[in-house]
Amino acid sequence: MKIRKKSMFLFLALMLSMSVLFAACGKGGEVSNQNKTVNQGTAGNFVLGETPLKFSFYGNYDWYTMNPWGQDPATKWIQENKKVTVEPIQSGGTALQKFNTMIASGKLPDVIWGDRGTDVEKLRKAGKLVPLDAYLDKYPNLKKWAGDKTLNMLRSEDGKLYQFPNWYTKRPMGNGGYAINNKIYKDLGSPKLETFDDLYSYLKLVKEKHPEVVPFEVGISGQGIDFLYAGMSEDRTVGHLMNRAVPDGNVLKSLFSDPVYREAMVFANKLFKEKLITQDAITQTRDQVKEKINKGMVAIYGDFTTTVMGTEANSMLKAKDPEAGYTMIWPLHKEGVDPNKVWVNEFDSLGWNVSVITTAAKNPEGIFAYLDWLTGEEGERIIFWGPEGTYWQGTSDTGAPLYTEKYANDVEERTKLMAIWDTFQWAGNTTFIDESKSVNEMNLPEDKRDWATVSQTNVGWKTSFDATEFGNINPLPDSAEGIIMQQIADIADQVRAKALFAKDEQEVIALLDKAEQDAQNAGYEKLLKFQTQKWQENLKKINEK
Amino acid sequence: MKKDSITAAMPLKDGRKKFRVRYMEQIDLQLMVIPALVLIFIFAYLPMYGVLMSFQDYDIFGGFFHSPWVGFKHFKMFFDSPDFWNVMRNTIVISFLRLLIGFPAPIILALILNEVAHIRFKRIVQTISYLPHFLSWVIVSGLAMSILATENGSLNMLLENFNLINEPINFLSIPNYFWGILISTGVWKEIGFSAIVYIAAIAGINPEVYEAASIDGATRLKKIMYITIPGIAGVIIIFMILAVGDILSAGFEDILLLAKNPVLQDVSDVIDTYVYRVGIKNSRFSYAAAVGLYKSIISVALLTIANAIARKLGRSLW
Repeated sequence: MKIRKKSMFLFLALMLSMSVLFAACGKGGEVSNQNKTVNQGTAGNFVLGETPLKFSFYGNYDWYTMNPWGQDPATKWIQENKKVTVEPIQSGGTALQKFNTMIASGKLPDVIWGDRGTDVEKLRKAGKLVPLDAYLDKYPNLKKWAGDKTLNMLRSEDGKLYQFPNWYTKRPMGNGGYAINNKIYKDLGSPKLETFDDLYSYLKLVKEKHPEVVPFEVGISGQGIDFLYAGMSEDRTVGHLMNRAVPDGNVLKSLFSDPVYREAMVFANKLFKEKLITQDAITQTRDQVKEKINKGMVAIYGDFTTTVMGTEANSMLKAKDPEAGYTMIWPLHKEGVDPNKVWVNEFDSLGWNVSVITTAAKNPEGIFAYLDWLTGEEGERIIFWGPEGTYWQGTSDTGAPLYTEKYANDVEERTKLMAIWDTFQWAGNTTFIDESKSVNEMNLPEDKRDWATVSQTNVGWKTSFDATEFGNINPLPDSAEGIIMQQIADIADQVRAKALFAKDEQEVIALLDKAEQDAQNAGYEKLLKFQTQKWQENLKKINEK
Repeated sequence: MKKDSITAAMPLKDGRKKFRVRYMEQIDLQLMVIPALVLIFIFAYLPMYGVLMSFQDYDIFGGFFHSPWVGFKHFKMFFDSPDFWNVMRNTIVISFLRLLIGFPAPIILALILNEVAHIRFKRIVQTISYLPHFLSWVIVSGLAMSILATENGSLNMLLENFNLINEPINFLSIPNYFWGILISTGVWKEIGFSAIVYIAAIAGINPEVYEAASIDGATRLKKIMYITIPGIAGVIIIFMILAVGDILSAGFEDILLLAKNPVLQDVSDVIDTYVYRVGIKNSRFSYAAAVGLYKSIISVALLTIANAIARKLGRSLW
């Protein structure tokens, strides 16, 4: 009897574990069925603000955490006035795993926010995205602000639009460039600093007179080194290095055999060898860079985030000594190169990233309507500056919010809130935000203006190349060309680092020759052909209409 | 009476019944084992069907049942890849260095600690030496990088102050130093924690043996040689066999974090970092699975060989 009781117990325990197992399997199947019966994107009669809307939202970045919805003034306002509630699905610091898990289990969020390219294309090819074309005319903000050219570029191979852009723009933007340390510059007699020759002699001077500082800080991964390529000839941009393809007429050619790239690497090697560039260029972390520039331990600082990192460093140094701080200068260049054709930044009209609406969404039209409202004037004002009455009151004739006293005085609280609101900014309208900022900035006295805005207006934006035509020219990573690209990327990263450590000019050239040969063996030509074709297709799309 | 007749009627099933009876007698203990078995089954055996992915062109949307079979395509691609020999060389060299230096280091620490008479001091050393085990590699590599930095790096400053070098050395960018840095940070991080097992094993040796040796006039070194080491040889051999099975796991996080400079790729690329860089990061799941399966097969073979050798010495794992 006792034994039977025990075996009964055992049996129950087994049943329990098995049922847990089956339950887990069952759930997955249910959800994937749900996904099959979905709205394929036809405009209905949704009215934002009348029909309540609720959707789940996933930001596909390791670093991204969406703040809780409705806990701050802006999203609370949206919840009350527009009846919109967003449920965050967090990446938990492992976006790649999370994304793949959601796909594999068929449990997609309603909206995915992330980079254009690979992931979006994968989803689209599998038929998991809702095309947005049907809503474009009904909700006019996106069409108005982004324009047809940008929307055409965002369209997928099948001619439909699936991506809602974020921070798209009609005007240049960018944060990169050179900034000089004012105190050291003045101390050394403010010499002319325009060409690479000026740069070289200035850095030599710094090393001699201020051996304790880094003459030229190039940021993490040696980003500033890429500026040397940009200044070596006209219309060379840092983007060529990222794509590892140099345009020549109608075709893209090898980076390694490009004479301009070779000259830039020889110059970089010279600066590095003579210890004029930070010796930790390739290995240092962002914190190491920050420490150096915040302490004023660099003479020239240049990377892709100069206006961002420079703002903090500038205010820290200025607080101790009003003479100190940094000033952004026009990009340096080789003697004889037209300075107006030197591009250390690039932007494309498509902006930073995109939101896509998946077939899991119950009300795709509602989601589009919300994003469209968000990217319009009212939405942008609320999500960037908060509801009217706190930091702004009334608008200019262009719709720009007019800052209140509180905006200038309540810096700490405002900075905190604006950082929170930034996590809800999925449809950033660069043109509107930047124009609104400059309307207000220009009302301020010169010494009260924001360092970043001044630097961007004077230098950063003016030295940014419109690279819209080079968007999405790279192949999917698991395609034949993608496998080649991964090998070329490895070769390029290695040769760039090795060239810095080379003994002399001959060795740099020999390394680049070897890289060219390895790349050709890996199938570089095939990749360049693919990229060229994509590039030409882009040009066609841009010139349409 | 009734019971007896049943037993007599089924003499053939005696063995099985014995097992059942024995099992039922310890049912309370067995019930505690079941969850562990279920866990192993679900998380170690069920996912094994995933290795079949390496023979497919895996499509994440179609899943396992809708992906085309491609045979040994991905294995061939790996063996033919220009990185193959380099990756294999680095994996094996780094592993052997770990086995040569990283494996005996905690044993030596345990032996040294055992000779320390001052109990408080011994405890303090033990605690301090095992603490780094609990730091993640992100922190350890951050520490290593700031110590080894060229500008304001502590090691360079120290060497310069002693006039040993004229100008700072770029430790993290010179391939020749990489293996040394990798092995020594690894030893620093794990030596104390690994030593715990050996210290425990030493504690299990009967103190009377030492006393007898002392009476016979054995020196300290002789006691270590003839009592302590043979006393923990069993533990050492078991860990040795496991370490041999792990030879193709030359490390992952440590290498990924310390070898940031692409210049080092020629000496730092091992199987696991290669799988991550080429396979996972580019969503080439089948390729990653193929390389991973290749690694597992070699590891199982090595483990079996090591065990066979150990069996000859009479101390095998199974």
